[in-house]
Amino acid sequence: MTTLTPEDVRREPALQLAAGAGGGWLVIAGQELRDIWLSARGPAIVIGTSLLLSLLTYLAASNEELNIIDQRDTVNLLAQITMALAVGVSLLFTADCVSGERERETLESLLVTPVPRGQVALGKYLAAVSMWPVLLIVAIPYIWVLREGEGVFADAMLGALVVGTLLVIGFVSLGLLVSIFSGSNRLSLAVAFFIFVLLLAPTQLPLGGWFGDLITQTNPMTAGSTFLHRAIVKEHGWGEDLDLLIAPAVWAIAMTGVAFIAAGRLRLQGSFGR
Amino acid sequence: MAQASLAVDGISKAFGETRAVRGLSLDAAPGEVIGLLGPNGAGKTTAIRILTTIYAPDSGSFAVDGIPYTRPSAIRQRIGVLPESAGYPLHQSGEEFVQYFARLFGQSRKSARETAKTLLAEVGLAERAASPISMYSRGMRQRLGVARALVNRPRVLFLDEPTLGLDPAGQRQILALISEAATERGATVILSTHFLDEVEEVCSRVIILNRGEVIAEGPVADIKRRAAPRTARVRVPEENHESALSALKRAPGVGDAQAVNGGRGLISATLDGSDTNAPIRALLEAGIPILFFELEGGKLSDAFLALTGEAGA
Repeated sequence: MTTLTPEDVRREPALQLAAGAGGGWLVIAGQELRDIWLSARGPAIVIGTSLLLSLLTYLAASNEELNIIDQRDTVNLLAQITMALAVGVSLLFTADCVSGERERETLESLLVTPVPRGQVALGKYLAAVSMWPVLLIVAIPYIWVLREGEGVFADAMLGALVVGTLLVIGFVSLGLLVSIFSGSNRLSLAVAFFIFVLLLAPTQLPLGGWFGDLITQTNPMTAGSTFLHRAIVKEHGWGEDLDLLIAPAVWAIAMTGVAFIAAGRLRLQGSFGR
Repeated sequence: MAQASLAVDGISKAFGETRAVRGLSLDAAPGEVIGLLGPNGAGKTTAIRILTTIYAPDSGSFAVDGIPYTRPSAIRQRIGVLPESAGYPLHQSGEEFVQYFARLFGQSRKSARETAKTLLAEVGLAERAASPISMYSRGMRQRLGVARALVNRPRVLFLDEPTLGLDPAGQRQILALISEAATERGATVILSTHFLDEVEEVCSRVIILNRGEVIAEGPVADIKRRAAPRTARVRVPEENHESALSALKRAPGVGDAQAVNGGRGLISATLDGSDTNAPIRALLEAGIPILFFELEGGKLSDAFLALTGEAGA
């Protein structure tokens, strides 16, 4: 076996990776972050979210005739909207991240670098997740303005942070998984968005009876949404509804595990929709 | 003899019922430029994708710079690839693009910046380094692709149709870069192309694939010899037509001679052996002036067409 000296590594750039092979994900994440935040995409989403939250806050805070819901409900609504937007947008970013590269014919060049497949996926995953903390920070002033009484702000921010993080992790992993197997970007975006809407829809439905409870407990979106509603509006303590965090947590862990196992087997061509 | 930088032993790959590559073997030395030829669907791109670790072979094995194919990540450290249809992030500048890939090969920011600067100068893009790739012509993008493929000083460079769609000036620049990579960097170059004149210009050896199988392999001169001229076309003055025909028919080394399209003065002579001067000598000895003489065959394109035609028949 050949032993490399520092001189060999300095002379041969090809060998430098042996010294720093673990950093591929960081380089990819950095590039993806620049692509999101230094292009029009990221800032446009932030501005759009700000405008939406501004409108809701304005209606709730300044116009009592139009303000038909309680301010705690409004805080809950803002937190839920911010969370749903972050989940949806992050999901679409990862749904594009592999199938989009396939379609733009840039994937092959990436796959012939020594960066392991899992690290390629990790870099893209982290960049997509970055949308969530940014949108949460955007929501802070609006929730602050609308807070009423002690503890609402903290309940809302902490609840949104926990539930949103679990949901974003799960859905970003879902997007990655779909993208890895999709032969076309359109298919990937459509499938990922369909699953998102399918799981989001029950949060807007009146769920009752054993079936409603089952959906509430097992659907990560309804479970997370109900947890947040109870924490902000009903002023439940955290310990009262911990069971509602099981579905989002299981969703996050399971989807991440499956997505990264699949990422290790990332192929040039997708399996479906070629 | 220097260790082969690329050693391939009977690799095969099938997609369902289609056998894309069958038993491809080759050894390539450092600094050698090998042309991979074949009609569309011959298996060239699949062969390259196997050797660049994109596809795993179904059978057979290969090693790059002594690294076995079972260690794909280590192989990727030693190869440079310009894929057949390489896409580019159009919003990035050429400099950012090359730097990014240099970083993916483990270089520090500073080293990546230097690498990008050097390589872009080498491929003639120094002045456009800061321009977005969307502003590059196709030729410039291909040169950028070559620069990217060289960021890790590869032992083996795989170029899949690098001159496709380029104008003659663009083709010339790419060919010069290929020669430089082989002679100055000592890289083995595997060049897949449809352009046979390119192969004649830069390759020392060729492998011709057809339907996944190697149908010919060897130095360019040897392959050309396989399509050695078998026919000569001669034009003589009309009044010498009959005497030329009989002189050629009698001549040693000439199998047969006949008028072409019934034309007076134009004769086609079949050669018996490798003596391509036999018809000229026969006519001159008979005192018949030669107005025109042409050998048919003897070019790589003739060999390619003959070989792929035979294999396809």
